[in-house]
Amino acid sequence: MKIVIAGAGSVGRYMAKQLAASGHSIVVIDNDASAVSRLQNTDTITSLQGDACEVDVLTAAGAADADVVAAVTGDDEDNLVISLLSKQEFGVPRVVARVNNPNNEWMYNEMWGVDVSVSTPHLLTGLVEEAVTEGSLVRLMAFDHGKSGLNEVTLADGSPAINQTIGSLQLPREATVVAVIRDGHVVAPALDTVLHAHDEVMVLSSGDCENAIRTALIGTN
Amino acid sequence: MALFRRKKAETAPQEVVHGIPMADVPLRTPVTVCGKVTRMRTRPAHGVPALVVTLRDETGFVTAIWTGRRSIGGIALGRTICLAGVCTKASDGATFMNPEYTLIK
Repeated sequence: MKIVIAGAGSVGRYMAKQLAASGHSIVVIDNDASAVSRLQNTDTITSLQGDACEVDVLTAAGAADADVVAAVTGDDEDNLVISLLSKQEFGVPRVVARVNNPNNEWMYNEMWGVDVSVSTPHLLTGLVEEAVTEGSLVRLMAFDHGKSGLNEVTLADGSPAINQTIGSLQLPREATVVAVIRDGHVVAPALDTVLHAHDEVMVLSSGDCENAIRTALIGTN
Repeated sequence: MALFRRKKAETAPQEVVHGIPMADVPLRTPVTVCGKVTRMRTRPAHGVPALVVTLRDETGFVTAIWTGRRSIGGIALGRTICLAGVCTKASDGATFMNPEYTLIK
């Protein structure tokens, strides 16, 4: 896939290296010549100095035939402008944008051309919640414009799911158990897998069925 | 600023603007299409209004979305307009986001 990354800071450079290692063709854009120079051009990574908020620079980077544009600068205004231009001027199928200040997250939506937004503070909140809570539903990530998500429940002692098989859980149709983590090991879920206390249950869900998942895995109280 | 250069509505030029048939609109290439406005609605998306207009010709239809607007002077049901921009495939068919527009009649 052809991927254009706007922002050659630590996030952009790391993404470029990781994605190039998985065989994608990468163009990195940054205004700052020193940031660009820290990135070595290779067969699969091309760096470009320029303002990614300008249509001409995005054109030069090949946004017209890019499969993904990732706006990961440290500036929310720039990320939104890059997202909007990528969608509006180039019809990029997938636009990923980084949220720096969580107060700006409400703007990262399809109106600004953003398909997926990633907010580090929100991810951290989710992970901290996951670490400190047992017996509550934690949304680890959302995708498909927030319509689907990966949720995690660590089964507390009083959970109705303990000693039940996954097949006998009263989960809604829109939710499915995708993994169980037990004592640090991943257990592939089967219909006859029996859940234990303190298991971390990963549930993939779409639509608004969190309450039904809560009822099945946490109980009503 | 490049973002807003498309806000200006031009009056119809003397020569006819030639669009391509809507059924053949290529994706992700700058194109011009012309047709009649057959449907207009405002969609409050994420607390921001958006004007969604459906344009038809003999071959098919396209959708145009202008974000942050409830109406655009000169665009009304039955009017013929031309759109220029880049088309993407969305849930409701070929869609232009904030295209440049020309009022024809």
